[in-house]
Amino acid sequence: MPRIITNETYGCPPIRALTFDSLGLIKVTEARGKERGTPTVVNTWGETNASRCVLAASIDDRLSNPLLAVARKDGSVEVLNPCNGDLHFAYSVFGDDGSSPEDDEISGLHLFRKQSDYQAERSCSLLTCTKKGDVSLRSVKFPDAHADSTDDAAPKTWKACGSGELLVGKVDGSENFGLFGGKRVEVNIWDLEQCTKIWSAKSPPKDNLGIFTPTWFTCAAFLSNEDHRKFVTGTKSHQVRLYDVSAQRRPVLSFDFRETAITAISEDPDGHTIYVGNASADLASFDIRTGKLLGSFLGKCSGSIRSVVRHPQQQVIASCGLDRYLRVYDVKTRQLISAVFLKQHLTGLVFDSGFSGEDIAVANTVVEAESEENMTIMEQEDEEEQNEDRLEEAPVKKKKSKKDKRSREEVSGGEEIDEVRSKKTRDHKKKSKKVKHIQEE
Amino acid sequence: MGYKRKRGDGEGEEMEAEDRGRPSFNGTEKRNVILPSMIKNKDKRSKVYAKQKHEKKLEKQKKIKARDAAEKRALELGEEPPQKMIPRTIENTRESDETICRPDDEELFAEIDADEFNPVLRREITPKVLITTCRFNSTRGPAFISELLSVIPNSHYQKRGTYDLKKIVEYATKKDFTSLIVVHTRRREPDALLIIGLPNGPTAHFKLSNLVLRKDIKNHGNPTSHEPELVLNNFTTRLGNRVGRFFQSLFPQEPNFRGRRVVTFHNQRDFIFFRHHRYIFETKESKQSGTKGKESVVGEKVKARLQECGPRFTLKLVTLQHGTFDTKGGEFEWVHKPEMDTSRRRFFL
Repeated sequence: MPRIITNETYGCPPIRALTFDSLGLIKVTEARGKERGTPTVVNTWGETNASRCVLAASIDDRLSNPLLAVARKDGSVEVLNPCNGDLHFAYSVFGDDGSSPEDDEISGLHLFRKQSDYQAERSCSLLTCTKKGDVSLRSVKFPDAHADSTDDAAPKTWKACGSGELLVGKVDGSENFGLFGGKRVEVNIWDLEQCTKIWSAKSPPKDNLGIFTPTWFTCAAFLSNEDHRKFVTGTKSHQVRLYDVSAQRRPVLSFDFRETAITAISEDPDGHTIYVGNASADLASFDIRTGKLLGSFLGKCSGSIRSVVRHPQQQVIASCGLDRYLRVYDVKTRQLISAVFLKQHLTGLVFDSGFSGEDIAVANTVVEAESEENMTIMEQEDEEEQNEDRLEEAPVKKKKSKKDKRSREEVSGGEEIDEVRSKKTRDHKKKSKKVKHIQEE
Repeated sequence: MGYKRKRGDGEGEEMEAEDRGRPSFNGTEKRNVILPSMIKNKDKRSKVYAKQKHEKKLEKQKKIKARDAAEKRALELGEEPPQKMIPRTIENTRESDETICRPDDEELFAEIDADEFNPVLRREITPKVLITTCRFNSTRGPAFISELLSVIPNSHYQKRGTYDLKKIVEYATKKDFTSLIVVHTRRREPDALLIIGLPNGPTAHFKLSNLVLRKDIKNHGNPTSHEPELVLNNFTTRLGNRVGRFFQSLFPQEPNFRGRRVVTFHNQRDFIFFRHHRYIFETKESKQSGTKGKESVVGEKVKARLQECGPRFTLKLVTLQHGTFDTKGGEFEWVHKPEMDTSRRRFFL
């Protein structure tokens, strides 16, 4: 018997979510209005290119001058403006030659929220880690119109693991500590200022049959913003583990969740609820103090969940993954609020919490105006730069249209082939006719 | 049941309300309101039921007659005949689905250009298929495999032995195979098909049912070694498109039309029907031409005939996995869950 779930239509609170997909597109989904509405795709940034598949993303959604960092498959890291998608800055992790090694990819990215220097408006610092274990911490200045040298101080780099694959790179709320882990790499915590390892986990003991499950961390999350000592991790062997740095090196608590790898984990601001998504599209919330399942989120989700995010203010979580849908759930009732079809395999998701719903356009312009006021000297130059940006954008659009044409041509080419085929069959018919004639004669 | 009864009651009330003004209708309609299932005496019940059924039949006949007459009259008068009613089926009342591919979708084409099957479908690589079995294999399994070998060109069979599937995947990748098919047998009957795209393509797990082998098909033909033509029907959604392209990537993309071989994957309500045919165009002289001599050529008619050959089976997608076979750590692109079955009219392919 099919179960019939009758959902009351809750409507979606005003949210703004940015999703990243396997073709390198960034899609902006917004639910507007004071009244609860339905989220819709309002913007798509970037060109379709499979080599620019987004691997990791991080957002700094402060009210003035928000930033969004995106790491792509070809090794480039881009810093964008999440309001309008303007590119501030881009660099390649694997040196300037741009060629990325075959088996090395970016696995973690963090955009620091606290500002190290006073020129906060035009710079940011980024932490990236790659699969081979290279962690680099660098602060970048956006190139200005008059001086386009990117004079960033030499990035701090270190190796977070000797062997294995680094899959998780996280930075805690105070942004002093980084957490790394992965395939055959036990979770370890680094002090980001001194670049020293301060703690590393110990793998759990063999079970009663003497079987050792190999270490394979896939995701991690710090439990609260203030505390860097407690964090939860998800493993490939469908285990969720809670570690406490101050207590012991082995997990304080660990429990299983279903039967496939845990792929996404996210914390709630209340400090004890976590949301866990796995590779066979199950999403559930747990109370980490006891390890008890609070309930699962049913939403007809059919593909592996790649990312789960809790909205900082609204009572919603969103998940996205290989089933090409962005799903928004209510936290309290665990009901699906809405699902948006976004066409590609989605790899990541962030919320823009600066979005308030009804006055988006106004807010953005205000922000821009403020920043312009701050930079009294460079105002004109900035404007020029913006103009230039627009100019630069124009040919991109043209390119897109060309691409459109090409794809259409390809389609028509396919039709031509069909025609050729039908011709061939026709020829064949004729031939058979001829044969008949000959026989008759 | 309860629902039905309620509805019937409601109708009855309505009719009563309507018919108060027209007492002539009252008698028959009121009697119809009594449902046979409400009568407790079996003899009486069956009688009433039979009577009702008979009435219904008469009514239907009358309706059909009237319709035919109207059509005939329209034809005679040279008018447009009344529109034919289209029966409602589960397919044409399918729930609207936003994942259905549209021809004007650029992102769809971009993704198609980037997916794992593209090199094969662009004829940059010729497909090479490795067929193997599960650990234990007997009777119908090998027969089915030998027929699969004749259906799929450039396919090779290897004994499974006791190798892990992951090891076999590794081996096949090294030998430049483009896909791997595992025929799973249970109780001497093939019951599942696992198709793995190599080197990094997806893994599709199908349930296999209704297998009829060639020798059990009446008047079957024997396939030739020509490259077959491929017919993929009704793979409309994004998932369907992906599965269809997966099937397509098993076959070489240059059909040899001389061979007149067709392989069909027909999707209907998420079941994929596999058929393998030979066709022939026959020229027949139609008798209606009537005239003698040279003009008889004009009356020639080309008729296509089909002959089924090769196995016949039905597939149903169970899971589609991202990457090659990995049961423990693999990520699923699509799995079926009970919560998705909210309607008979929702289909995924």
